[in-house]
This record gives sequence, structure tokens and C-alpha cells, in this order.
Amino acid sequence: MKVIIDGLTCEAESGEYLLQIAKRNHINIPTLCHEEALAGLATCRICIVEVMDARQKAEERAFGQLNDDCGEKDDRKRKIVTACVYPVVAEIEVLTNSEKLRDMRKAVLTLLMARAPQSDAIGMLAKEYGVEQNHRWSSREDEKCILCGLCVAACDKMGTGAIATVNRGTTRTVSTPFEEPAESCIGCCSCASVCPSGAIPFTDLHGKRTIWNKEFELVSCSWCGEVIGTKEQLEYVGKRNGPSADVHGGEMLCEHCRAVREASRLKWVSQPGRTFA
Amino acid sequence: MNGHDGTNFEKILVCCGTCCLANNSMDIDSGLKERIQQAGLPLEVEPMVKATGCSGLCENGPIVRFLPDDLCYYKVKPGDVDEVFEKTVLNKQEIDRLMHREPEQRNRVRTREENSFYKKQFRIALRNTGEIDPFSIQDYMERGGYSAAKKALKMTPEEILTEIEGSGLRGRGGAGFPTGRKWRQCAGIGRYPKYTICNGDEGDPGAFMDRCILEGDPHSIIEGMLIGSLAIGANSGYLYIRNEYGLAVRTMEEAICQAREKGFLGKNIFGSGYEFHLQIVKGGGAFVCGESTALMASIEGNTGEPRAKYIRSVERGLWGQPTLLNNVETWANIPEIINRGGSWFSSIGTEKSKGTKVFSLVGKVKNNGLVEVPMGITLRELIFEIGGGIIGGRRFKAVQTGGPSGGCIPQELLDMKVDFDSLEAADSMMGSGGMIVMDERTCMVDTARYYINFLSEESCGKCVPCREGLRRMLEVLDGITEGKGSEEDLELLIWLGSMMKEAALCGLGKSAPNPVLSTIKYFRQEYLSHIRDQRCPAGICKKLTTFRILEEKCTGCGLCKKNCGVGAISGKPRLSHVIDEELCTRCGNCIDVCRFQAVEIG
Ligand SMILES: Cc1cc2nc3c(=O)[nH]c(=O)nc-3n(C[C@H](O)[C@H](O)[C@H](O)COP(=O)(O)O)c2cc1C
Ligand code: SF4
Ligand code: SF4
Ligand code: SF4
Ligand code: SF4
Ligand code: FES
Ligand code: FES
Repeated sequence: MKVIIDGLTCEAESGEYLLQIAKRNHINIPTLCHEEALAGLATCRICIVEVMDARQKAEERAFGQLNDDCGEKDDRKRKIVTACVYPVVAEIEVLTNSEKLRDMRKAVLTLLMARAPQSDAIGMLAKEYGVEQNHRWSSREDEKCILCGLCVAACDKMGTGAIATVNRGTTRTVSTPFEEPAESCIGCCSCASVCPSGAIPFTDLHGKRTIWNKEFELVSCSWCGEVIGTKEQLEYVGKRNGPSADVHGGEMLCEHCRAVREASRLKWVSQPGRTFA
Repeated sequence: MNGHDGTNFEKILVCCGTCCLANNSMDIDSGLKERIQQAGLPLEVEPMVKATGCSGLCENGPIVRFLPDDLCYYKVKPGDVDEVFEKTVLNKQEIDRLMHREPEQRNRVRTREENSFYKKQFRIALRNTGEIDPFSIQDYMERGGYSAAKKALKMTPEEILTEIEGSGLRGRGGAGFPTGRKWRQCAGIGRYPKYTICNGDEGDPGAFMDRCILEGDPHSIIEGMLIGSLAIGANSGYLYIRNEYGLAVRTMEEAICQAREKGFLGKNIFGSGYEFHLQIVKGGGAFVCGESTALMASIEGNTGEPRAKYIRSVERGLWGQPTLLNNVETWANIPEIINRGGSWFSSIGTEKSKGTKVFSLVGKVKNNGLVEVPMGITLRELIFEIGGGIIGGRRFKAVQTGGPSGGCIPQELLDMKVDFDSLEAADSMMGSGGMIVMDERTCMVDTARYYINFLSEESCGKCVPCREGLRRMLEVLDGITEGKGSEEDLELLIWLGSMMKEAALCGLGKSAPNPVLSTIKYFRQEYLSHIRDQRCPAGICKKLTTFRILEEKCTGCGLCKKNCGVGAISGKPRLSHVIDEELCTRCGNCIDVCRFQAVEIG
């Protein structure tokens, strides 16, 4: 099926998300809350695009029940959708960078900038869109979190569910249960690494990791000394996936060293007369 | 005064809806029953006393109605029972003081028919509320109940769909989506199981039409859902009712039990082999839970938050299965459409909005209550004829329609027809049918601020436009009401609002700017008074208001002095009074009570 994005004709499978199609064709749509593995949040609304759908328009005419005047010169109805979750099921034409979209993104960024003045991700986009800090609005100077929800989704995906969004409306935040160190947190740092804003602080110091007000013992690679993860994390993964293949004769290896070992193992096996114990 | 004929009343209906119950209508019901029993009247003259659901005019409840004469009493107290029994039940004498008095008229009117509140009404969805005992399936059936379901069981799904499409019915829950089209989309999907859901969340503050139907005519919803399920091929359904609606849950539970016993629900309905089960789910109570995707998440046991819905729920709804969700009032219309035909329904209303709509008319109107009127009635008729006009002889200023995220419609548009498209064209919406009438003592900036505050608390907070947009709108509006606004603020509000309308994730955020955008459009001057003149013309925003007593108008009656809680008013009887600005807290009591318009907003 064909999709025309900013004038460029692209091939697409039915049901494919617009963002994927655009990416494949090197069309850049800004995103903040999108991660391939954690798709579907659609909370930041920065990836908005305009979709014109000839068929839908015809259908609406036939039923004659929806408002016809959408104030567009173009005969086809335009609607604003978020590219990251919009599945393409019909031949459509898409604009990703119209003046209207840029203006709307500017409004979204103005709001985000006021919320999280310290967020790097916002800073860069804000510059690109010429957004300046609104000084009349109150902000928490040190705030970085834009409440995209990626951290919660990442933690859920780990199966740990140690953090969640709490409160409704304008008081919403991300937090551990009752803001106490979470029992189920394993210190894996998935949340921190997926955060687009660098809003989840953690430290790895003297063999200890601190995140979400909880301290974890760090486990390092027996060969190179690189940090592999926390003890709780490795135990958790071990329980979930069966005994970990990395634990070998009390040895804990990082990914790199494991690869080296695998390679040398293969060498040993391929040498006639040698058996691997 | 004696009754006009010798025969007895057949039925006495005592309103036992939530509001009347709160005013002890149950005691009136049982009191009357007791008296009649004790009197040992011969059976053929013994009137049947029935506790009914809400009759709509709650403010004047408890309501007692005598049939077939239609004599109607309002604001009846348990203490009136003896008198009502002796005078009216036994001797057919009317009790003048309990009858309705029309606004502006001296005479009291006898019957409900003559009451202007009911005169222009046309009841389809509310056909049985206030007329039957909701706990009695017999009552419902006596008025033709379940005949539509029987009829539908003999129809093909296609025939049902054609009838509903032909009716032109549009969803009564807010968006006004064509019901027949939704049903057809869902029927066209060949994946099973399918589900039907009744949305009884009713989160709009002040709206109670769905509650009224749930409490007063539960079987009409069951019957509607049965018909919808037949049309799409669903075997189970859910009734999502907000938790606070205790009585509604009880009535629905009882109705489901009775319907099951009669074989209208369950495995083999009317012996047709068709199976349909219905289950009640109590809602968590958040406003946003009424949104369709949030509601389904909530039934599934997840947090009631909306999700992006480019795939419609008729395709993937509850548990990923095809789901047909309609509002309480929408469902209640269905049996009548099947019984009387789609073309009958579409003969009522306007070109694109067919049938009737239930409105909850509240605020500064004389008759507060629930009214069902044909689509296309004008706002003026609604507010001034049915509603009886503005309380206290004040001037009408605006009417807010569509619930918290609706818009405010000004005086100039009073002759506007009330239907889905006209309301939307006026920057407001039908919503669930809330109508809040405001008088000249309402500040439109403060009103917008009030709704934005409500919405910022009720938004789920998931997406940026709604969560952050509402937060900043509220900040800006707070500023204006405190005299810290600037003219650029108005442009900023419009800029943010138009982005939110299109970029927010769900209907809440998309409609949330309405109160702001509509008030700026119609009442810009009032915003400018706050900004330029530092003055709140309605005398509501405390920081921008001063009150002054006009010497030439003040008669020195002292009423204001009596009503001032902080002793800011002084003056000798019959001499002009004065307000001490230092002490005054701007509560507005004095201006509200003064009968000589002597208090002025400075
Ligand atoms: C924030 C929000 C709140 C809503 N609340 C309700 C509600 O309380 N009751 C209701 O029936 N529909 C409500 N709706 C509309 C529903 O999402 C849905 O459109 C409707 O129930 C569909 O039924 P209908 O087609 O019969 O109107 C709400 C929508 C939004 C966006
Ligand atoms: S902490 Fe980071 S990932 Fe989590 S919601 Fe905030 S910005 Fe998103
Ligand atoms: S560090 Fe804790 S909170 Fe973060 S993803 Fe891992 S388990 Fe969840
Ligand atoms: S628009 Fe508001 S209520 Fe709807 S998803 Fe966004 S934040 Fe939640
Ligand atoms: S506004 Fe209230 S406090 Fe002020 S003078 Fe009038 S009654 Fe007293
Ligand atoms: S990337 Fe955030 S809504 Fe699409
Ligand atoms: S509850 Fe009695 S009139 Fe509404």
C-alpha cells in the first residue's frame, strides 16, 4: 500500500505505524515518549502529523452527519494524529512539518519547557523550534521529568513493577509505592537508561548502586572488573530465565568477556583430542 | 373544594428518587399505605400507592401524584400525610398549598399537565420514570415493556440495524456518534465473543439524567441492551455504574434478577435459544472513567486511563474483542424505536439531530430539574418557558451546556436551536445534556477558571497538552482574576487551547479548552475589564471588586447590615448605610439581599 509523506511516496504494510514508515524513509518526526520496545504510550504528543484521508471524507459525506467545514482549502479532511501509534490502514497523505504542526509543537514544547527546565531532550527540541522559557510561569527549577511514562513501562516490562505514576491530573508524578524504597526494585536501572530526560538519578560508587532511595550491591565481571549489575538483578534474572549461563565455577562475566570465553571455547572444541569439561 | 366526580383515585404515585428520598419521601409512601390499609376501604376503591423513580422536578419534591386525575402535590412532608389522606384520598378535596404555582401567576395549578415545566416535554427516554415502580417488572410490562425485545427476537440483525439507522439516533453520552452506524460497524466484525456495555458513569457534576433512568426505569436499559446484543451478536454485557449511585446499583441488581426469573435474561431468552447475560460493574468515580477506553480499562481491572484509539472499540474494545458501548439514555431509547419504528423517531427533532434529549436544567432558573424535549427546541424556550426564567428577577447572562468541558452561550444566541451541531458551532457541545443557567452575578472569567480547575484535577494527567495545558491555563486565569493579567494572556490562552483541542489524547483534553475559548469569544469585554480596568463587573473576583451603597437609593432598611457576616455595614434605620471597605470581605451578601438595588459594584 502507498503512503505519501511530505510528497514522498512510500511503501507500507497495512497496520504499520506511521512513525516506522517515516523512519524507514529518512523522514524525521520528533519523538519523546517513543521507544521501539515500549511502544504505545503516546503521552508526549510531539510526534503529531496531519493526515488526509480521501476515503474517510467520502464516508463522512455519505452519512452526512459530521461537520463538513474543517476550514481547509483542501477538499480532503485533515486530522491531527500521533505518528507513533497511528496504524496505516488506507492510502493516505501525510504532512509531518507543516506550519500548523510546527506551531502546535511549539505550544507543546513551551509547556514541557515550563514543566522541566532542566530536561536535555526538551532543551534541544526547544532550540530547534525557537521556544523560549515563559518566565511568568512557575516551574521547579531542578525538574527534569516530562512524565512520558517510559520508565514505568520499562520497569513493567522487567516484570518488577517497582514504580508507577501516582495521582491524577496536574499533580501526577512517577514514584515508588508510598515514596518508600520499593521492595520489588532490583536496581536494574532500566528506568534510568530509558529516560529521555536523564531524570532518574542513580550512583554507582564503591561497589554500591543507589537508585530510588535504595542501595544495592554491585556485581562486577570476574575477568575485567566491569560492573554487570546488582546482585538482586542477577538473582531476579536467574530466577526468571533459569540458572544464568554466565555463572560458571563462581565466575561472573560481563557480556564482552563472555563472548571472549565463548570464542576460546570453540577454539578448544575444534582442536582434535581436546574435550571440554 | 370538592373533587369533580365521585370515583376514587386508582393510583397514588410517590416519587422516591434520590432527591425525594433525601426529603423523606419513603415515609410519605409508607404513611399513605398504612393509612389506607388501616381505613379498611373496600378493595375496589383502594388506591394503589407506588414508590416511583424521579419525576424530574426534584427541587419541588417530594412529589405525590394522583391518577387518573393527574392531581399533583409538591414539597410534601411526612407531616402532611394525615391531611393528604383525610382530605384528598378520602374526600377528594384538594390541598391548595401543596399545589404548584406558576412563576408570575397567582393561581395554583391542579394537574401536572398544566405545570409549564412539563408542558413542552416529550418523553421517550423518560417515558416510564416517575410513572412506575422501578422494582416491579410487572409495572414495566404493563406499559409495553419487553415487547420490543420479543419483536427484535423475530427480526434479523439486519432488520434491527436498518431500524436503528433509520431512526437517526445519535449517542447521548457526549460525542453524538450515529448509533446505527456504530452498531453496523460492530455487527460487521466477525470475531467473537463480542460485548455490549452501558456507560452509566455520569461524571458531569450536576447531571443526573442517567441516574434517573437507572433508578426509575431499569428495565428499559436491559431491554435496549438485549436488542443491541441481538443486532451485533453479543452474549454478554456490562453495566458500568458509578459507585456513588447506590440506589441505581440496587435497582439495576433487582431488575436483572427479575428479568432473569422471567426468562428475559439468561440462557434461553423467550425460548428462542438466544443467550444473554448482564453484569454490573461499579465505577471508581473519576470523571475520566466515563471516557470509553478508560471505562473499558477500568472494567478489565486496570487503571481507568484513556488510551490512544485509532483502532475503534467496535473492533477492539473490552479485552481486545469487538465491543458496543452506548450511554444509558441511548440504550433507553432503543425499545421505543423498535416498537414504533425508526421513521417515527426520525420524525421528531431536527435534520441532523433526531428524537429528544434529556437535559438537566440547573443554576439560576426557577424550575430546576430534568426535562426531556425534542431536539431543536430553542434555549429560550428551555430556560424561560420550561425553566420559568431567572430567579429573583435578575438578568440572564449565559448558559453553560455540555458538562464541565462545555462552553458558555450568551444572551445573543438564546434563540439558537439546541442540537448537536448548533451547540458545537457555538463553541460548546451537547455533552451529556447538562445546562447550567447563569445570571448577571456570574463572572465569566471566574466561571472559566472554575471549570479549568475542575478539569485539571480530573484529567488523568497522562498526556502533555491536557495535563500541562490545563495547569498553565489555570495559572493564567488565576492571574486575571487577581488583577495580574495582560492582554497577551488572552492570545496565549487561545493559542494553548487550540493546540489542546487537536493534540490531546482523549476527549477530555480535546474539549477542556471550551470553557475558556467560548468565554473569550463571547465575553472578551469582561476579560478586558479585569485586565485593563482591574475591575470585575459581576462583583465576584474579590481582588477586583468593591461594593458601595448608593445614598440616593438606600432606604436604610438595614437588611444588608443584618446579612453582613463581618459587621462591615453601618447606618441608622431609615438613613443611608455605608460599607467599610477595610472590613468588607467581598462576600456579596449585601448586594444579593438588597431589594432596592442600592448596592453597587465599584
Ligand atoms: C472525559 C469524558 C467523559 C465522559 N463521560 C461519559 C459519561 O459519564 N457517560 C457517558 O455515557 N459517556 C461519557 N463519555 C462519552 C463516552 O466516551 C462515549 O462516547 C459514550 O459513552 C458512547 O455512547 P453513546 O454513543 O451512546 O453516546 C465521556 C467522554 C469523555 C471524553
Ligand atoms: S522519569 Fe524520565 S522516563 Fe520516567 S516519566 Fe519522567 S521523563 Fe519519562
Ligand atoms: S531500577 Fe528498579 S524501578 Fe528502575 S526499572 Fe529496575 S526495578 Fe524498576
Ligand atoms: S487528554 Fe487529559 S484525560 Fe485524556 S489522556 Fe490526556 S491527560 Fe488524560
Ligand atoms: S460584601 Fe459581604 S462583607 Fe462586604 S459589606 Fe457586603 S455583606 Fe458585608
Ligand atoms: S512520540 Fe510521544 S506521542 Fe508519539
Ligand atoms: S427525585 Fe423526586 S423529583 Fe427527582
